[in-house]
Amino acid sequence: MATLVSSSLLSTNYLSPPSLSPHLSQSLSSLSLSPTSQFSSISLSSSSRNVSLSSFTVKAASAASENNKKKNVLIVNANSGAHAIIGFDLAKELLGLGHHVTVFTVDHQTSDNMKKPPFTRFSEIVEGGGKTVWGDVDAVGSVLEGLKFDIVLDNNGKDLDAVKPVADWAKSSGAERFLFISSAGIYVPTEQPPHVEGDIVNAKAGHVAVEKYISEVFENWTSFRPQYMIGSGNNKDCEEWFFDRIVRGRPVPIPGSGMQLTNISHVRDLSSMLIKAIDNPTVANGKIFNCVADRAVTLDGMAKLCAQVAGLPVKIVHYDPQSVGIDGKKAFPFRNMHFYAEPRAAKDLLGWKCTTNLPEDLKERYEEYVKIGRDKKDVKFDLDDKILEYLKVSVAV
Amino acid sequence: MAAVQHTFKPYPSLSLLPSSQSTFCGTKFITSVQYKRKVCQPKGALNVMASSKKILVMGGTRFIGIFLSRLLVEEGHQVTLFTRGKAPVTQPLPGESDEAYNAFKSKILHLKGDRKDYDFVRSSLAAEGFDVVYDINGREAEEVEPIIDALPNLEQYIYCSSAGVYLKSDLLPHREIDAVDPKSRHKGKLETESLLESKGVNYTSIRPVYIYGPLNYNPVEEWFFHRLKAGRPIPIPNSGLQITQLGHVKDLATAFIKVLGNAKASKQVYNISGDRYVTFDGLARACAKAGGFPEPELIHYNPKEFDFGKKKAFPFRDQHFFASVEKAKEELGIVPEYSLVEGLTDSYNLDFGRGTFRKAADFTTDDIILGKSLVLS
Repeated sequence: MATLVSSSLLSTNYLSPPSLSPHLSQSLSSLSLSPTSQFSSISLSSSSRNVSLSSFTVKAASAASENNKKKNVLIVNANSGAHAIIGFDLAKELLGLGHHVTVFTVDHQTSDNMKKPPFTRFSEIVEGGGKTVWGDVDAVGSVLEGLKFDIVLDNNGKDLDAVKPVADWAKSSGAERFLFISSAGIYVPTEQPPHVEGDIVNAKAGHVAVEKYISEVFENWTSFRPQYMIGSGNNKDCEEWFFDRIVRGRPVPIPGSGMQLTNISHVRDLSSMLIKAIDNPTVANGKIFNCVADRAVTLDGMAKLCAQVAGLPVKIVHYDPQSVGIDGKKAFPFRNMHFYAEPRAAKDLLGWKCTTNLPEDLKERYEEYVKIGRDKKDVKFDLDDKILEYLKVSVAV
Repeated sequence: MAAVQHTFKPYPSLSLLPSSQSTFCGTKFITSVQYKRKVCQPKGALNVMASSKKILVMGGTRFIGIFLSRLLVEEGHQVTLFTRGKAPVTQPLPGESDEAYNAFKSKILHLKGDRKDYDFVRSSLAAEGFDVVYDINGREAEEVEPIIDALPNLEQYIYCSSAGVYLKSDLLPHREIDAVDPKSRHKGKLETESLLESKGVNYTSIRPVYIYGPLNYNPVEEWFFHRLKAGRPIPIPNSGLQITQLGHVKDLATAFIKVLGNAKASKQVYNISGDRYVTFDGLARACAKAGGFPEPELIHYNPKEFDFGKKKAFPFRDQHFFASVEKAKEELGIVPEYSLVEGLTDSYNLDFGRGTFRKAADFTTDDIILGKSLVLS
């Protein structure tokens, strides 16, 4: 992809000049550098080194952050996929807290990908005081030339090809911290769930290579391993997959026994965990956090919950993808196995609390589903039909 | 009213102090309130062990209580076991030294009676007076009332409830705040918890999941060990992906100690079990590992296709059943010591592996399943 300097640079999304932004000078002058301060690492962005005043390990049973300085955050976001919403939601949350946020989406601003949520709602980031820019990963340096961020968060890639350019630029431009949105998918399957931070991961996974790289390059780094998310602005269907079938009175085909555990979190919980980590640089340094809810739901259970909030009946049918002769991944949006991580590190170290409540959260999701007219949309069910044909299950029209 | 006698073992004139380094049958066992692994200590969780208490244990001679009572004695408390006396009041633990056993035996007191004889319970307990009650074998709420009535100055009522009270759910693990099932097989436990709450007693209720470990009288690990030893395939209902959870009895005993005299535990309920869950298939393989057996053959079957009569074909509920033990960890710093394979190995080495077990092997249901499988194949 060619380097693209977004046209939006010249309009509303004006980027700060290389010198200290007014915001930053202000916060510097209001900094009180007290040696008796309980909190550590008050970093001065204007210098090239961190000035650590103390090295207390802050035990995060309390909700207090290590410092309250507003930060300059760069989020490098994927242009599609399940993770896209993470950058969007986090940007808005950070802006709401008074931080400075730039979202760099890896794509052309005018690409087809940008016609889908959350990108269609990026104006919300701008309205919140944030900046949105576009470009290739290799263009990060030129698009953001001269800029320096306290934190660079990469939510764009699953391997070094995608992330190394971002990491290298972040390092060379003096970013103090590098945060990476990895994936809980790298855990080796286990017969003793849940996946807990520190468990063996698949050495060949791209995300693993990235985690290793950033741990070597950055003095302060953190990695987050999410699973599935629901939330407004989601790019990849999650609960919608179930709603599509339930509102049309179609059976819901679920591979295997339907007892497989999965973890579906509201994106607000991911943002709150990321922000806890952002607010606690010492505690979060060098750590891995499962960025997930603290409950599992079975695949059957998810179907039932979706039906419940829709106020409609559901007929679940189980099948073996191999016997039917279809690609399991295309037919169903969740892994056909137990896939359940728990957010133990975040609770232990950051004092983070989970708020996801699927029975409640799905109500709001269903309302939006109907509001935007998805219940009336024409949806293709080719793979479903193949499965149902195999199982000789009829579909009431 | 049946005539029952209560016998108290007299205080020994010479107390034999157990070695402070006493390890429990040569396996890891915490003899004092301390953590072996680095754990997260919530602020202010430092549990200053209370001074010596006069403690009554309802039950205490069969499984949990055996380990708990030893801990209590080692902590310096005066411990009385209330039992009918059907099982020996004390028994040496496998691998326990004579010295340790005798030290324990000389200190333990026995109150012989039937806890369902409520008049006797009231009178004998009132006569004695106890600071703390550990109710290990209580099943019904009405069993608890006479105890509470007899001990108006009771400092704490520590109850062994069960995670079986939770309402079945597709959202797991079970947490202490979750809905409970008033119709479950364990509703007596639930009613007991409610009674304790309504009586305003300072109670703590512990909800274990499946308990395992040496001397287990419930054929949990034993069920697998029998089949592994016999070199038989292990028949598992349905997919084998059902998730359950085991908690080692020694970790449970430790948890019981940690809530003693702990103000944070007042009127609280805690799930206590292992900190990982396990699938049925995984458990079979973990048992094989623990006993040094080769990887077992697992046979999956549809239980609906069989009529086993009154016999149980598999020792676990055919559903997901597991609970989060986070609350105890966060609030009280309680963390299980044993991983699953470690705990199963401990159980194997101290019990089944020595040739001891509670229930003899019975492969009747296995043969029904295997017979039909053979016919089908």
